[in-house]
Amino acid sequence: MKNYLVKDLMVPISEYATVVLGTPLIEAIHVLERAQEAYTISKYQHRAIIVLNQDGHVVGKISQLRALKAIETEFDFTDQIEEIRKFKFSENYVAQLRDKYRSREKIIKEETLREVAAKKVEEFMQMPTPGEFVSEDCNLDTAIHRLIAGTHLSLLVTRGEQIIGILRISDVFAAVFHEMMTIAENKNS
Amino acid sequence: MKELEILFNRIIQRVNVNLRELNFDVTPFAMTLIIPDQMSKFYAFYGITPDHPLDLHFEHSALAGSYFLGKCRVRNSILYKSDIRGDELKRKDRQINFGKFTLTLTKDERIDIEDSALVKTLVHNYSHDPETPEKFFIKDTLAMDYANIHGSPSDGCFLGPYATVDLTTMRDCIIGAYSYIQAGEISHLNVDPGTIWVNSPGNFNFYYKYPPELLAHYVSLSPEKVPWGVLIDFIEKRKFEFQRVFDFVNLEEIESIPKTASLDRYAVVLPNIKIADNVLVSQRAYIENSTLGKGANAQENCFIINSHLEGLNVTAHGAKIIEGYLGLGVFVGFNSFLCGKKQNRLKIGEGCIVMPHTIIDIEEALEIPANHLVWGLVRNREELATNSISLEKFSTIDTTFSSGRMHFEGSGASFVKAFKDRIQHILDVNGAFFADGENAGHAQKNQRLSLNTIQPFQFGPMEGMYPNISIVP
Repeated sequence: MKNYLVKDLMVPISEYATVVLGTPLIEAIHVLERAQEAYTISKYQHRAIIVLNQDGHVVGKISQLRALKAIETEFDFTDQIEEIRKFKFSENYVAQLRDKYRSREKIIKEETLREVAAKKVEEFMQMPTPGEFVSEDCNLDTAIHRLIAGTHLSLLVTRGEQIIGILRISDVFAAVFHEMMTIAENKNS
Repeated sequence: MKELEILFNRIIQRVNVNLRELNFDVTPFAMTLIIPDQMSKFYAFYGITPDHPLDLHFEHSALAGSYFLGKCRVRNSILYKSDIRGDELKRKDRQINFGKFTLTLTKDERIDIEDSALVKTLVHNYSHDPETPEKFFIKDTLAMDYANIHGSPSDGCFLGPYATVDLTTMRDCIIGAYSYIQAGEISHLNVDPGTIWVNSPGNFNFYYKYPPELLAHYVSLSPEKVPWGVLIDFIEKRKFEFQRVFDFVNLEEIESIPKTASLDRYAVVLPNIKIADNVLVSQRAYIENSTLGKGANAQENCFIINSHLEGLNVTAHGAKIIEGYLGLGVFVGFNSFLCGKKQNRLKIGEGCIVMPHTIIDIEEALEIPANHLVWGLVRNREELATNSISLEKFSTIDTTFSSGRMHFEGSGASFVKAFKDRIQHILDVNGAFFADGENAGHAQKNQRLSLNTIQPFQFGPMEGMYPNISIVP
């Protein structure tokens, strides 16, 4: 297999959708759409937004899941679910209960969507965790281990102290399985 | 600083060390718990009976107003008006089965209280912990007013007022006010006030939690204040009657008590009462203008006022029944508060199970049909509909069930059977089925019990503490 390094597959920060702290959710989504239109190098579109502080340093990330979570109402049953879990009810029962409670409240409501559109990115962004970084000179093995171990959809690529790009799971996936298919074809020919 | 205060501070620190992971500090709750002046005012007392081995050992402890029976060791502890009842402890050579293991006891079981403070707390039954079958330990534990430690060894725990832990070994746990826990073994668990949890792994799991704002009306607790609420006021109003029975050495005997029944000398009995055969009225119980039918019992800290109990009724530790009619075999669990009104009475049909820590507080007359399970807070018919179910219907549950704030998972039939078996066992050990000299229980054996008192230091640096004493036959 070709000896890929992280920097061979990463998307540079300059090509990624970025917003600064204080940006409302609706504006962040617009930035994502514009970045998706401009990005033509890969068939895999950007699915996340990087959040920068005023100095341009990466301080967080908003995945599609995070954006949807921002839309989901903060239900008052969350504590009750945690309580039930504490008292040894099965995961099946907890899941049933969560569905039951959730079905009482609609998510897609005009009023909710209007409110959430104005939410600031820092209210729902995901802060980077220690296992979420990878150096640009690391090989792909290291990157794959970190993606799997942390169930991350992307890693932040570092050069020294600086974050210079994003390594997306889709690009790693494409590189690995493209190689796998090439090997299989060579064997058959 | 006097020895009593030094000891109390030491106990508080020991409990705090155990609860540090839960980030819980008992200090503000403890501040109002022990009043040093009170500790020298009340004598302690113990029972002497041919039916239970006598082996009491008190060392560097304060025991004001507390009662001891059976084998018990108390070291570096403060007990205030607590009952340490060792009449159900296991005996030497008894075999106990736990899963695939069978253990034979090499000595009699003993209650072992160390570095703990228990206030108006009941300790009863025996250790259900297979790892310590011969020692029912209570260490580094602080229990507040009317807590029940029932068959539940405890290490490093805090029990709020009216908390009950039943047949459960607990380590480093906080049991909130008016919570009832029966779960085999718990560790590092912080239980909110008003949580009712009965868990038998692999069989069933029952959970209910009182709405905090409604529970607060009945029992409230906050740092640096004595507990307050309807349940506290209820007992405070009747405190004087207890004072009388504890102040007098010789009280007049009530002649209308059958020979098969037992009315404890430290129970309050006010006219007009009718007590049938095989009835057990324990100490610190309060019976006023009521009828207790054959085989009924009123355990420690029970109040039965203007009520009729048909017979074979278990009124578990701390339960209260006011203006009620209870049919045959009705079980009322620990610390339940069943409060009817003179013109609007509460009627509970035959065979009902009122779960531990149930509050029924009605303004309109209410009737609970026979053979129902009742739990939680019931103030009217609507709440009864949510918080009750027929035992027959409950027995058909084999997966999950929820109603209001109650959640259940497992086998309803196993749950009902477990309760029914336990009720039968309680009636049996209390002597409810005594006939023709057979099946004697507490009701009959307690008649062969006499009492002795012991006194604390009244003056000096040891004021309120008791001398080290060993009492053996």
